[in-house]
Amino acid sequence: MAKDQDKTILKMTVNGEPVEVAVNPAWTLLRVIREELGLTGTKEGCGIGDCGACTVLLEGKTVNSCLVLALQAEGKEVRTVEGLGTEENLDPLQESFIEYGAVQCGFCTPGMLISARALLDKNPHPTTEEIKVAISGNLCRCTGYVKIIQAIEIVAQEG
Amino acid sequence: MQSYEYYAPRSLPDALEYLAENAKNCRIIAGGTDLIPALRNEDIHPAFLLNIMEIAEVGGISETEQTVRIGAITTFNDLAESGLIRKEFPILSEMALSVGGPQTRNRGTIGGNIASAAPAADGLPVFLSLDAEVELSSRRGKRNLPLNEAIAKAWTPAWGNDELITAIRIKKLPSGTRTAFYKLARRQAMARSRMTISLILRRDPAGIIEELRFVPGSVMPVPRRMEEIEKLLTGKVPTDELLDQAARAVGEEMVKVTGIRWSTGYKKPVLGNLFRIVLSQLITAG
Repeated sequence: MAKDQDKTILKMTVNGEPVEVAVNPAWTLLRVIREELGLTGTKEGCGIGDCGACTVLLEGKTVNSCLVLALQAEGKEVRTVEGLGTEENLDPLQESFIEYGAVQCGFCTPGMLISARALLDKNPHPTTEEIKVAISGNLCRCTGYVKIIQAIEIVAQEG
Repeated sequence: MQSYEYYAPRSLPDALEYLAENAKNCRIIAGGTDLIPALRNEDIHPAFLLNIMEIAEVGGISETEQTVRIGAITTFNDLAESGLIRKEFPILSEMALSVGGPQTRNRGTIGGNIASAAPAADGLPVFLSLDAEVELSSRRGKRNLPLNEAIAKAWTPAWGNDELITAIRIKKLPSGTRTAFYKLARRQAMARSRMTISLILRRDPAGIIEELRFVPGSVMPVPRRMEEIEKLLTGKVPTDELLDQAARAVGEEMVKVTGIRWSTGYKKPVLGNLFRIVLSQLITAG
């Protein structure tokens, strides 16, 4: 294991708040988000960039946080599922996922929400095809894709 | 756990100095989509890691009258969203949109795609069909190398370990040139290519093929233009008989490089047929 003196201070903005954290250069952004910052909404699935469970926004763009070194986020803005809404005031996507049954085991849900949010921020009224492309890097092994797409479509129609 | 020194300079000279000093045991990281799994898997153990994502000179897409320069840290998404690329090289836009998923397209870079030199790389064969050059920078200076000389073997670039790929340069295509990219994979997203077809075609008003460039991807250790097939068709009107003959020859050329493998029974006819289908579509499109 790395010794403390091997650590470097990482400064970034997470969900609008500036954070400073001592990190080992070998750590991924995912590890820092979950284990150093305690934001465990972001999940580790495959760990090699195939499943999308660890999706966060880096400078407004979706990335697999398992494929970003923590230090590569230096000076940058990160948004995780915790930054979408509060318990009292959920993001419309979160409301819609609940209402339309888009959550089964829940493991893919944070990544799905982030990918959907990135899409709607850029394109508030996407077609079904555009929704499918936007979540094409997020795997749901409960295979609940139909409900997920519906839940996003509802928000897109209302928004 | 990996243990390396990490450096993320903002200036190119600083990066090249660091690379020259630590060339032997330094790995370059850009989008990290290939490198981070390799680190996680303990396939590599660099002592130094140089992040080039913060260097402005290694990014951006620009044009002169004759050429387009694409910075090495241009991501597949940057490429897909570029109006200049869509206008000059629609084949690159198509390729970029076929790579991985949105998250990997937001990180993966074209410089990394070339430097990784994976046999199943999607960018590499398209850039080869465009006769691209790589711009290499080092403390010793800058040079341009034709891409077809830039890959030594699978996974291995042919340039020095003190050199950094800083850009790709492509000559604009003559007017009337048509291009096509086709990817065959097990599913649409997040799929490693089984085969790709990259084609550049120009015909004269009588329908005679003036220029054809063809690069199959994912079927050889290092992709390259199939010049035998290009010669077979250039200067001729592509009749059905000629296209049939060319499709058979494509499979045979592939086998000359790869030898007979477990997958040959599938790949030999399918590669030829895909070539024929994609080329026919390009021909009938205009």
